[in-house]
Amino acid sequence: MNDFSELENELKKLRPAQPSPVLFERLQQALEDCGAGALAETTAVRSPYNWWWLGFGLATAGIVVLFAVISFEREHRLDTATVAQSSPASEMRPEATGTEQSPVSDRFVPAGGTNVVYHARDEGLHFADGSDRPVRRVRYHTQQTWRWRNPETGASLRVSYPSEEIVLIPVSGQ
Amino acid sequence: MDFIASHENWKNCFSEVAPGLLLFARQWVQSAADAEDIVQEAFVKFWRRNHSIDNRALLYSAVRSIALDFIRRDKRRARREATVFAETEPSIEPQFEVEDDTQSALAAAVDSLPHDQREVLVLKIWNDLTFSEIAGALRISQNTAASRYRYALSNLKKSLQPQ
Repeated sequence: MNDFSELENELKKLRPAQPSPVLFERLQQALEDCGAGALAETTAVRSPYNWWWLGFGLATAGIVVLFAVISFEREHRLDTATVAQSSPASEMRPEATGTEQSPVSDRFVPAGGTNVVYHARDEGLHFADGSDRPVRRVRYHTQQTWRWRNPETGASLRVSYPSEEIVLIPVSGQ
Repeated sequence: MDFIASHENWKNCFSEVAPGLLLFARQWVQSAADAEDIVQEAFVKFWRRNHSIDNRALLYSAVRSIALDFIRRDKRRARREATVFAETEPSIEPQFEVEDDTQSALAAAVDSLPHDQREVLVLKIWNDLTFSEIAGALRISQNTAASRYRYALSNLKKSLQPQ
């Protein structure tokens, strides 16, 4: 024991003044008054958990939607490529008319084209309807070939088809 | 864990700690009524935040903080009262229930201690706080709390020795 143990015992015998009974009543009143506040505080303490769960749910939903959009877009691209490769006619149509590329296959760029005349037949002079001057009618049989190439994947598309063309050449008398 | 914030036990808890809390609050205010106001505010604050009774240092820290705020708020009033009371005999309400002259001398000796030693003594003797809890409540180190306690006892012993 230390040198102050006797003094400490004497001090402990000294009793502090007791609180007034009014203090208990005031305290009880104050605690009852703040009871509703305490309840509200308890709710407020719980609400962050609710916000956490709400935020977590929204974030999860957002991620799911994002994945769905990415997946849908990927599938859409695959379908588009499949269509472009399996139905060349749709790709060919705008090129055959000499206009811009098909919007469906915008990633396939024209790589060239040939028009081979493998037969030409002179069908002689004819008079067109309502005309008094003769014209020479020439029938051409050709084989047209068009090529497209995808610069990203290196895939190529070639379309070849026969065609027939009739040309009327005016004949001038000499 | 026993929480002080329950309707069943708050009276029991408060009955146990109230005298010590009031004595601690009286270190800053002379009026017992002011000390009760401080203790009430601190206890309600403590109760509403659902602190554990095991964390006594927090309760005493709240009393100290509210007492210091009280002093700052009422500094002007205290100055007015000091001016008025300077002309009259001061009547300080007793902090202890003394039974004889020996206890009365001991109470007077405690009251004459320096403030920093007295508050450590009050927390240690009449509130049964450990030095660790005292350090937490007063925001000082444990060594400082222990040394202040020893200085307080030493000064009391000196003042109580017969001349």
